[in-house]
Amino acid sequence: MTGVVVDSGSVVWVDAAEPGEAVAAAGSKIGRLADLHRAGVEVPQGFAVTVDAYRRHCADAGLDPRIDAILAPLAADPAGPSEAEVGTASAAIRELFVTTPMSDALVAEITEAYEELCVRCVDVNVPTAVRSSATGEDAADASFAGIFDTYLGVSGAPRVLDAVRACWGSLFTARALAYRLRKGISHHDMPIAVGVIELIHARASGVAFSVHPVTGKPDRVVIETSWGWGEAIVQGVVDPDHIEVGKTDGRVLRYDVAHKAIVSAFDFADGRVTEVEMPARLADRRVLDDEQIGAVVEAVSAIERHYGYPVDVEWVISRHRRAGDGICIVQSRPVTVTAQEQAPVAYDPVALAQKYVFSGKPVPGR
Amino acid sequence: MANVVPLGEYTGDWYPGYKPEHFDFPYVVDAPSPFKPGDEDAFWFLDFHWSRGLTPLAATLWSADGYCAGTQGASESLPLPPGRGVTCRFAGTHLYGSPIPETDPREIAARANRLGTNLPHFLQNYRSIWEAGRDELEATWDYFRGIDLATVPTAELGTLIRQARRYHKRAMEIHFNVMYPMLVNFLGFYGSCAEMGIDTGLVGKFLQGEDTKIMELDRELYALAVKARQAGLSQVFADNEPGRMREALSAHGGSASQWLTDFDDWLQVWGHRTDATCDVGVPSWIEDNTNAFGNIKTFLMKETDHDFEAAARNALDERDAAIDAARSGLTREEQAVFDGGLAANQAANFPWWQDDHNYYIDLKVMLPLRQACQELADRVGADRRDDMLYLFWPELLDVAAGKPYGGELRSLVTDRRQYFDHWHTRRSEMPKVLGTVPDSVEDPVLIEIFGINPGSLRAVQNPDAANETTLTGVAAARGIATGVARVLQSSDELHRVAPGEILVCESTSPNWTPAFGKIAAAVCDGGGMLSHAAIVGREYGVPTVTAVGIATVAIGDGDKIEVDGTNGRVTILKRAAELAGAGQDTTGQP
Repeated sequence: MTGVVVDSGSVVWVDAAEPGEAVAAAGSKIGRLADLHRAGVEVPQGFAVTVDAYRRHCADAGLDPRIDAILAPLAADPAGPSEAEVGTASAAIRELFVTTPMSDALVAEITEAYEELCVRCVDVNVPTAVRSSATGEDAADASFAGIFDTYLGVSGAPRVLDAVRACWGSLFTARALAYRLRKGISHHDMPIAVGVIELIHARASGVAFSVHPVTGKPDRVVIETSWGWGEAIVQGVVDPDHIEVGKTDGRVLRYDVAHKAIVSAFDFADGRVTEVEMPARLADRRVLDDEQIGAVVEAVSAIERHYGYPVDVEWVISRHRRAGDGICIVQSRPVTVTAQEQAPVAYDPVALAQKYVFSGKPVPGR
Repeated sequence: MANVVPLGEYTGDWYPGYKPEHFDFPYVVDAPSPFKPGDEDAFWFLDFHWSRGLTPLAATLWSADGYCAGTQGASESLPLPPGRGVTCRFAGTHLYGSPIPETDPREIAARANRLGTNLPHFLQNYRSIWEAGRDELEATWDYFRGIDLATVPTAELGTLIRQARRYHKRAMEIHFNVMYPMLVNFLGFYGSCAEMGIDTGLVGKFLQGEDTKIMELDRELYALAVKARQAGLSQVFADNEPGRMREALSAHGGSASQWLTDFDDWLQVWGHRTDATCDVGVPSWIEDNTNAFGNIKTFLMKETDHDFEAAARNALDERDAAIDAARSGLTREEQAVFDGGLAANQAANFPWWQDDHNYYIDLKVMLPLRQACQELADRVGADRRDDMLYLFWPELLDVAAGKPYGGELRSLVTDRRQYFDHWHTRRSEMPKVLGTVPDSVEDPVLIEIFGINPGSLRAVQNPDAANETTLTGVAAARGIATGVARVLQSSDELHRVAPGEILVCESTSPNWTPAFGKIAAAVCDGGGMLSHAAIVGREYGVPTVTAVGIATVAIGDGDKIEVDGTNGRVTILKRAAELAGAGQDTTGQP
């Protein structure tokens, strides 16, 4: 080590990741973002602290043997560890990550990348979303979806570095540990990357599905949205507006305005996004106009076309967006709903009678 | 596990003098009979169409020709893949129906294939099929009308009676051969609407507003009421009971005489109808004017005239608005399915047919037989003109063939009248279901006409039904109303309903329609979205809940209830007894 910052592969930029290597280096979450960028989808600026960087940190800082020492007794118990034992082990490992400093080289490399991000965003200490991006996460088996940490509004290099280490530690949350123990997966087989992504100043955010997430109907886009950042929706703490749009003609089929009691807002004092009470004058107001709905539908449809299978996305409308601009996509993954049977294309009284009257089940709606 | 309601006492004796050969008629799959041991294995539901009970002739002919030839034959010819029509049994004078299941998978598959050919063929040719059947029946009807019974030699009455029965049987073939495919088409459309997220409360609206023969009849009857008002007869109607109205009007003289002449002319056109479905035991309006007068009396109670044209326009506007609202929430692909289903159902419009066919079939099809039986009664010197209706078919043919109507038969008729009256009074205590009760049914007639669904099946098995205060059913016509409940056994009691009260009954049929002009709401044990009460409730804007299952059990006459026709909920707010107690309260508050 010379102390000179070189490209050691610890950082990969969303807009520079090599096709085919993006997911391996940056984890599935950030890898997909890189993928989308190449496909022409509007995504935020940012970079990932790579899987390699995590591996080297664990090896160089001596974390690997200490983690294995904590985990060994859990795996040895044939009856499986108790919830309390898993919780204790999780806390111990996460504490290791918090207290174990990164190498100077890695600190320098991440700091350099963060400063570059500030320049790109024309901001000082640009607020970021620091997101865990595990390998295997968001894959066809979505059991890990949302299991690892995300920190919104992280601003300034020291805080970013802390958040990165906290995300690393979240590979060992009690839930993740218990899951891997149950499935017999080693944490070595699913190393983690961490994305450091420009935090888009959100007027409104939400999720969008290129098929109906419950019925699997492929003829519509389903959108759920609220004011501010999308965390409150993803975590399910706010009842969002629900919108369904026909894919063929882009017509809004329904728009159910919800009473949105909670909003994810940026807390300037604390420097992070947090959940607060929704201002009364916004709670019952319709979030999206038709133009915005159209932009969301266009974005999610383009992503579905790109991958060739149904997707759900998290999207943000920035404060600076004007009508006609695209929508910023912050996350995308395959939809895990099972595909429904082929939808009928014309009225077929015989088929419908067999399905609804002579099926041995009550007629729907009765 | 399916619940079994024991048949208990209902498998005992039947009508005095009954012999099994009295039921020796051709049938398709299963013959009708009184309940017999072993019937517990099937599911039986109390048929609301005949809440008065049925005389021996009415019971045997309807069950044999209507259900066991009509529905079973139609279920074979369409066919219904998993069902073979309806059979029936009697508990006393009360008819219980039962769907006959097809359980052989190979048969079901073969029948499904045949349905695949026959249903589209029916839908493409619906109009000509129905109109040909209707015209055939009208031609036969005209044949009977052309006969002056007084001039028919007694020796030929037997032939006439056989012809009259055959007319009824043929009518039932046509009836069910049209009804089953229409219902299958409707329920398939209904199911797909539900799956597409359409509010199923709207589905009936998509098909409303087409003019029917029964609606025409109602308008003509109303025109008579307007004439009575213009002739200054409102007070006569207000002061007299329907049963004595002709007498009162005759005594009034003057404008009343002219009005009575108009009324009798009107009856010759529109009075060939009974206030019952295919029941030879019930008179036509010509034979008994009471209900015609009663309906006119009801019309005259209302201060303002009913604007039929405005109501019809409103129904069409509502229909179009409902269709637009439903379509706007569908994707283009779904719209293609919806539009196709709507077109098929508007062409073969079940709610329309359900009303219209009653005029051509159900309400008059038994009249030729009834009149021939009355004529025979006159010829053989019977005590009463309806004596023959208390005979079984072979006995009736014997009398027509010249067997003396005396001694034994005559006294049997007396005994059978007593039997009929006894069971008539027991109607309200008849179990709604008997035998092995399933969780749901597949026969379209049971689903749509009888309103049998998982909810109603659960409700009727509730041992504490009489004490329930919150009831649910099919939300048939929107709106909420509160009022005093009038629980009626049959339309014979309609005069008990005062304006603003709530009608509670097993089910309604077209003869109940005028009552919808004065009631605040309606609640029925049976009936689906397209039952008579549902259709008329929507047309008159009367909140209506059908398929409650236990409305006539749980709701007491005089109870104060709330009917929520939007959500299909009925709440008993105060029992009649409490209301009576409150009436004695010094505050005088109701």
